[in-house]
Amino acid sequence: MNPIRKQFRPALMASAIAAASMMSLFSAPAAAQSGPGFEDPNNWPQYHRTSNAWRFSPLNQVNRDNVKKLKVAWIHQPGTITHGLQATPIVIDGVMYSISANNNVWAIDAATGKTLWQYAPKLDKIVEQVFYGAASRGVTVGRGKVFVGTLDGRFIALDQKTGKEVWSTQLTNPKTQYGALFSAPPQLAGDVLFGGTTGGDQPISGKIYAVNADTGKPVWTFDVIKNDPKSWPGESGKVGGGSAWMPGTYDAKSDTIYIGTSNAAPDYYNYDRKGDNLYTATLLALDPKTGKVKWHRQEVPNDSWDYDSAYEALVVQKDGKDVIVHLNKGGFVFVMDKKDGKLENVWQFAENVNWVKGIDPKTGALIDPVYPEVDKTKTFCPNLLGTRSWNHGAYNPGTGLWYSHAMEVCNEVVAGKDDPDNLKSVSSLSLGIESIKLVAPPGSKPHGRLDARDPITGKRKWSIKYDLPPLSSVLTTAGGLVFTGDMEGKIYGYDADTGKELWSFNAGSGLRGGPVSYSVKGKQYIVFPTGLGSHAPGFLAGAFPQIKDLPGGAAMIAFTLE
Amino acid sequence: MKDRNAFISSRTSFFRGALSALLLAGAAVALQAGSSPVMAQEAATSAQPKPSFDLDDPARIASGKKRFNKTCAGYCHGAEGVGGRAPDFKGRTDLPPEAAFHTIFHGRRGSDIMPPWGEAFSTDQIWELVAYIKFLGTQ
Repeated sequence: MNPIRKQFRPALMASAIAAASMMSLFSAPAAAQSGPGFEDPNNWPQYHRTSNAWRFSPLNQVNRDNVKKLKVAWIHQPGTITHGLQATPIVIDGVMYSISANNNVWAIDAATGKTLWQYAPKLDKIVEQVFYGAASRGVTVGRGKVFVGTLDGRFIALDQKTGKEVWSTQLTNPKTQYGALFSAPPQLAGDVLFGGTTGGDQPISGKIYAVNADTGKPVWTFDVIKNDPKSWPGESGKVGGGSAWMPGTYDAKSDTIYIGTSNAAPDYYNYDRKGDNLYTATLLALDPKTGKVKWHRQEVPNDSWDYDSAYEALVVQKDGKDVIVHLNKGGFVFVMDKKDGKLENVWQFAENVNWVKGIDPKTGALIDPVYPEVDKTKTFCPNLLGTRSWNHGAYNPGTGLWYSHAMEVCNEVVAGKDDPDNLKSVSSLSLGIESIKLVAPPGSKPHGRLDARDPITGKRKWSIKYDLPPLSSVLTTAGGLVFTGDMEGKIYGYDADTGKELWSFNAGSGLRGGPVSYSVKGKQYIVFPTGLGSHAPGFLAGAFPQIKDLPGGAAMIAFTLE
Repeated sequence: MKDRNAFISSRTSFFRGALSALLLAGAAVALQAGSSPVMAQEAATSAQPKPSFDLDDPARIASGKKRFNKTCAGYCHGAEGVGGRAPDFKGRTDLPPEAAFHTIFHGRRGSDIMPPWGEAFSTDQIWELVAYIKFLGTQ
C-alpha cells in the first residue's frame, strides 16, 4: 500500500476540517506534495520550516511502523550549557546552521554532526549584565548568508559557506534600552531582514528593526508603542514595554510580515497607562518595504497580566480562505482572516482562565476583565509565563490537527508601583508588583499538557498530561508522527492520530528548542536540541519544586533509522 | 540527589574562593566591580564585605523583603525564595551572608544565569536583601 495513503486514511475519517485539501491528498498525493507545507521537503529552510508556521515535515521515511527503530546518528555539543539549547536549527542541502549560548553559531554536517565552521561574535561587555544573557533561539539562512540577532543588539550577516562576517549593524542601545537584545533570529522578507527585541517587561519603548539583508543598512524602524496619547496617557508610552521578541513570519503571496508583540509594562501596574496600549499584545501585519501597518489585531487591550501575544501566526484554511490561528499567553486562540485580520473565532485553550469571563468570538472584546490592584492579592490564571511559553506548536495537514503544549499554573499578584531604585540596572524588570507567587489552579494540581486540537474550533481530539510542563516546541511529520520532549530530557514520538506513545529516548537534560526533520542522501533525520534553557524553568520551580534538581545541558541529538 | 549534592558542594567552594578574593569598599569600587567583575576580582585584596547594620534588624529585614518581593521573586526566585534553580532560601542554613552578598553583587553563571545587581542597588540595599534571605533561613 502506498504509505502516504495509509497514513492519511484514518485522519480523513476523523477530521472535520480542511476536507477539500485532504481529499486531494488522498486521491493524488503527488499533487498534494506541492501544496502549502510540502515545499522543499528535504530541508528545514526557515524557523517554522514554512511561512505558514506549521513545523510540519513532509518526510515519511520514519513513520508509525518503524519509529521504534530510531537510533542516534550523531551528537553535537557546543561546550557551553548556559541556558541550554533554545534554537530551532536550519537545515539546507545537508548543512545544519544553529546557535548556542553566547551567540555561538555553528555550521554542522547534517549527516555526520561534524562541525564545518564556527563563529563567535565579540560581544559588548554589557552582555554580562543583561537579564536574557544567553538566549539564542536560532539563525536565518538566505541570500548566501547566515543572519544572527545578537545579545548586544546587533544584526550580523555571515558568509553561508565560510562563516566569515559580511556585515554587522548595531540597532539597539543596550545601555539606555535595558539590555534590549535579539533573542530570536531576525527573519527575511525578500531583501529586508527584520526582528524585534526583548524588553516587554522592561521600562523601554519597544521597536521592530529592519535592515537591507545584503548591506545591513537600516531600512525602517517600527515603534510598537503607538504615538497616541489616548492609547498611552502622559509619558507612559516611554516605559510601556511593547517588544516583539519572537520571530515573525513573511508571507510572500501577500508580501506581508506577520509578527506578534509583547505585553505592556509595568506588567501588573496599569494605573499610569489607562488606555488600550497599542500596539502591545497585538498581532501586526506589516508592509516589509516600509514597516507600515497593513492591519493589526490587539488581543489583550490594556494588558495588565503579562499576556504577550508574541507567538507564531499559524496559517490554515477555513472555508477556502487563509486564516491565522494565534495563541496568546492569556489562554485564548484568535482565528482571523489573513487578509485583513477580521475575526473568525476566538476559543479558549487554557483550562484555567479567570482574568476574563471570556472573549467575544465575534468582536474580540474582553468580557468582564479582572484587573490587578494595589494592596489587594488577586489570583490570575494563567500565570505570567502564559498558558504556554514560547515553545511553538505544530500543524499536520494529514490529521488537520494543531499540536501544542500547555501549562496550568496560576499566580497570586499584588500590584505595586515600581521603585525607581529598583530600575537602575540594565537587567531590571518593570513588573509593577508588590509581590507575586505561583500557585496551583483552583481545585487541581499544576501540570502540563500536549493537546491535539482542531485549530479553528479548538475541539480537542487527544491530550497528554505531564507532571512538569514541557517547554519544547513540537514537530509533526507526514509519517503520522508528533515529536516533542519534556523538562526531564525524555524525548517522545507519538501517533499523530491518537497520541499513543510509539517511541522515547532519554536525553539526560530537558528540551527547550525546536526539533526538526530533514533528509540527506535519501535518509531522513530527526534532530532534537536538548539542554534545559531560559529563565522559565527557574521561575516554574515555584510551582514545581522538582525542577530544582534537573541538570542543565546542551547537546544536539540526531536520530535516523538503522 | 547525587547530582544536586555535587552542585551544592561546587557552589560552596566557588563562594569560598570568591570570598577570599573579594574587595568591597564603597560605591566607587562597587561600580567598578559591577562593570568589570573579573578585573575587580583580580585586583581584590583579602578585605571582606561587612554590613553597616545588624542583619537581624527587623526594619532592615522588612525593607529587604519588600525589595525581594518586587524584584527577585518575579520571574526568578519566587515568593520567599522558594522558586528558582538555587536551593530554597526558606529554611536554608548553609548560605553565609557574605556569600549571598557576593552573588547578588556579581551575579553568577553556570547552567543558569543570575545577572549582577551591584550597579543597581546600593551596598545597604544589597545587605537588606541579605538580611531578608538570612531571615528566610530561619523559617
